[in-house]
Amino acid sequence: MSFRRKLLAVFALTVFLSVVAVTWIVSAVTRRAFERSNEERTMALIAQFRREFNRRGEEVVRRVQAIAASDATTRMALALSHGAPDYGAYLAEAKTIADNQQLDFLEVVDSQGTIISSAQWPAKFGYKENSLPPTQPTSKGAFLRREDLPDGAALSLSAIGEVNLGDKALYVIGGQRIDKDFLGSLELPAGMRAMFYQNFATGFSPPFLIDPSGTVQQPDRMAPLVERVQQQRQETTELIHWSSDAADDETVHAIPLAGQDNQLLGILLVGNSRRPYVELRQRIRSAALLVGGSGILLAILLSGWAASRVTRPVEQLAAAAREVAAGNWNTQVEVSSSDEFGELAESFNRMTHELLDQKERLVQTERVAAWRELARRLAHELKNPLFPLQLTVENLIRAREQTPEQFEEVLRESSSTLLAEISNLKAIISRFSEFSKMPQPQFQRVQLNEVVANVSRLFQAQLRAPDRATIDCQLQLAEPMEPIAADPELLHRAISNLVLNAMDAMPQGGTLKLRTYQQEDRAYVEISDTGAGLTSEECERLFTPYYTSKEHGTGLGLAIVQSVVSDHGGRISVQSQAGHGTTFVIGLPRKAAISS
Amino acid sequence: MRRFALPLLAASSLLLVVAASAATRPHYGGILRVALRAAPTSLDPADANQADSLARRNISRLMFDTLVTLDNRGGPQPSLATSWEAEPGNQRWHVYLRRDLSFHDGTALTSDAVAASLRAANPNWKVFPLGDAVVVVCDSPDSNLPAELALPRNGIAKRDGKLLGTGPFAVADWQPGKKLTLTARDDYWGGRPFVDSIEIEMGKSFRDQMISFDLGKTDLIEVAPEQARRAAMENRSSVQSSAPLELMALVFARDRQSAEEGRLRQALALGIDRVAMNTVLLQGGGEPAGGLLPNWMSGYAFLFPTDVNLPQARQVRGDLHQASLWTLGYDSADSVARVVAERAALNARDAGLSVQLTASNSADLRLVRVPLVSLDAPVALANLATALGLPQPKFPGDSVDSLYAAETALLDSQRVIPLLHVRVAAGIGPPVKNWTAHADGIWPLQDVWLSTEKP
Repeated sequence: MSFRRKLLAVFALTVFLSVVAVTWIVSAVTRRAFERSNEERTMALIAQFRREFNRRGEEVVRRVQAIAASDATTRMALALSHGAPDYGAYLAEAKTIADNQQLDFLEVVDSQGTIISSAQWPAKFGYKENSLPPTQPTSKGAFLRREDLPDGAALSLSAIGEVNLGDKALYVIGGQRIDKDFLGSLELPAGMRAMFYQNFATGFSPPFLIDPSGTVQQPDRMAPLVERVQQQRQETTELIHWSSDAADDETVHAIPLAGQDNQLLGILLVGNSRRPYVELRQRIRSAALLVGGSGILLAILLSGWAASRVTRPVEQLAAAAREVAAGNWNTQVEVSSSDEFGELAESFNRMTHELLDQKERLVQTERVAAWRELARRLAHELKNPLFPLQLTVENLIRAREQTPEQFEEVLRESSSTLLAEISNLKAIISRFSEFSKMPQPQFQRVQLNEVVANVSRLFQAQLRAPDRATIDCQLQLAEPMEPIAADPELLHRAISNLVLNAMDAMPQGGTLKLRTYQQEDRAYVEISDTGAGLTSEECERLFTPYYTSKEHGTGLGLAIVQSVVSDHGGRISVQSQAGHGTTFVIGLPRKAAISS
Repeated sequence: MRRFALPLLAASSLLLVVAASAATRPHYGGILRVALRAAPTSLDPADANQADSLARRNISRLMFDTLVTLDNRGGPQPSLATSWEAEPGNQRWHVYLRRDLSFHDGTALTSDAVAASLRAANPNWKVFPLGDAVVVVCDSPDSNLPAELALPRNGIAKRDGKLLGTGPFAVADWQPGKKLTLTARDDYWGGRPFVDSIEIEMGKSFRDQMISFDLGKTDLIEVAPEQARRAAMENRSSVQSSAPLELMALVFARDRQSAEEGRLRQALALGIDRVAMNTVLLQGGGEPAGGLLPNWMSGYAFLFPTDVNLPQARQVRGDLHQASLWTLGYDSADSVARVVAERAALNARDAGLSVQLTASNSADLRLVRVPLVSLDAPVALANLATALGLPQPKFPGDSVDSLYAAETALLDSQRVIPLLHVRVAAGIGPPVKNWTAHADGIWPLQDVWLSTEKP
């Protein structure tokens, strides 16, 4: 991945993460705020319910006390104090009084707990009112009470009034029904609703769950919450999922309501819709998506623009570096800014300029050194034959002066010596001339194995010469070898030089191994000997012209070999270890053969 | 002065006596104002879609004579028919008609019209004219045919377009379910009624009737049986109650399915406190009922137990393992029926039975009120059986034993639990004179006259 793309990705990721982080933070803050608001509203509704409950209770108490103090009740008490009640006379009495006092429930009960008259269940006369034991003192305030009805049961907010005439008391138990109308009378904020569960059965029974409309849809969803309150008898909050739509979720706070005997009679359920929160969260997410998407798009554009501005100098520098690596040392980059990239470009330009100067100085230095080396070698090579020539000439002069009679003989002997040395000088000059006139290779399709085999055959006689120790030659030619593009003469000369060096390295005999093989895009020739080997220093300087480790070498043999290999686009390397022989490896490109 | 004083005193005394006797002496004229709770939408006596009630029968009697009437002992008496006789086997009857009678429009009452009217009311009968008589062929031997001819549904009506009868009053205005105005017939064969017309307001609740009655806007009203005693005690009006003429009973929707269910039904019958129902809920407006027919009619009803026997009910229930959960339906518009049903449910609970009240029509048992349609006991029992959905009783003979056996057989089916026999009460305003109570509860409106005294 390019630097520009990386930079682009980093910029876009940064923007994206920033938007996500902001959205998350806003959502979290919103959720906390909503939960707090929800809790406050729930508490407010509960407080309102309690106020309404207390107010209704006070109202019921007031009405019941009014009934207890009324003339009708007093007359009833008087009549009952005189003997057995005439239930028939009071059959509709309680109903009439209850209607007048706007009470839903009213029972008149004698001191024995026997119902004299009942508004909600007129036929119940003569039966015992179980919730009012004779010994129990009457409550002064309102309380929650279960009212048994002919067609079921209901919850009421009830109060008890007492009429005492003589030693017999008459009780008036009146109440108002807690039903959907009661729930409907509660003023609820938008999004909130009140439900009521009448705890008339063990476990959860859907018909007992009501709301201001009468019945609650999907009442079974409330079952776990109701059952938990039934077990724990304490306020509980739970999130109710009414459907797969999260906006329909509702946080429901359940408040247990107990009667006089602390029996759980009802559960007030305050529901708070999560729709506003979900919609707000949805809006935030939509806005975040819009902003984030726009931001990312803008970030990509800006990042592209910024990355292009940032990376253009880098790319120019990279291109210039590649030029320098390719040998074009005079490459310069444009300095388009005064920032770090501009400074880098100037530094690069200075560097290439310095490199060019260094190169020129190095070339000049090497050239001078080469000339010096050449001069030294020439002086050395030429001084060796010149010194015998000088001695021979001086010997001729001395022989003519001191022993003229032997001059002729000395002249003949000296002449042959002079001719031999002159010949030696010519050979030296010839080799230098040959090195200087190294021809350009004439490429043709060449079977590398044939060249190696020819060299082997050429040296078979010398390898087995009787005047020297025998050298065993081993050929390991890979088959098949694809032909390569090469000059067979130059290649033959280079391999021959290496074979000669190997023979020189094995004066005590040994094994010469010639091996060919091909790997990937190159064909290889290995020339190995089992001689004394080379030191690492010798290996480093081996291909330097005029360097030789031999006593009478010119130091041009390996230089010629390297020149030939280089002209073929190949490489030559040496692997040697002292005492374990030396191996030269020539690698030649196979691609040249195909193109040729 | 003394010479003139004595004759003047005598003349004044005579005038006072004449005036007083004129106020108490029967005379014609006046409009009788009546209020009823029922609100029939049809006046046809043979219309089976209309609920049977004493009020409907009262209206029908005013417009439609029957061939036979029953006296207070249930004996058949001539009316439009002068005589009748049965052929051997009591399946084919000859009924001889009174001559020179006419419908309200003046057309003569013929045997053809009588036969057509009876056929409309009794699809199972074959009725055809035969001279001045009609021949009735029953689908089975029927020794009680004369009593059946006295049933209100057999009032003779002419139905060719306009509904006409031969009764003492003719329809002057009819607003179905709301108001009926009748005018007296001058040419009625039994003599012209005293009042000129009768205005009947329908669909009035007992309470509204009582208010209207107290305000003097109505002369004759129905009084709820549970209010009759109090109304009489308060002396606001003249309240007259009949003998018990209505059966209030629990009727099971189906036959018992097992012996255990029969025992459960027995436990329910034993556990019901009929006395409390009567004394408290009906305020003494009826009698505890152990049988279907009231004792005044059958003479043997006291043989059927009416007292609550809770220990035995609990014992019977305790011997059984079958769960009992019955639903009890009742007429939600009838406040007395409601409290009676509630009391029955409470009594059942005391006996260990579960009875749940419901307004549904598909209840396991229903509380019903069925009026007795005839003073003839077999006819009344047969009509009760029909109304209760019970099989028709079989009367092997004409004796009381036969009647008792038939009624016992109906009770033994355990389809019905009698609760109460309820009286029918009427509030009779001060202007209404010459009110003579009939045993069948029929209002004798053609016999009453209106006083002109100011209250």
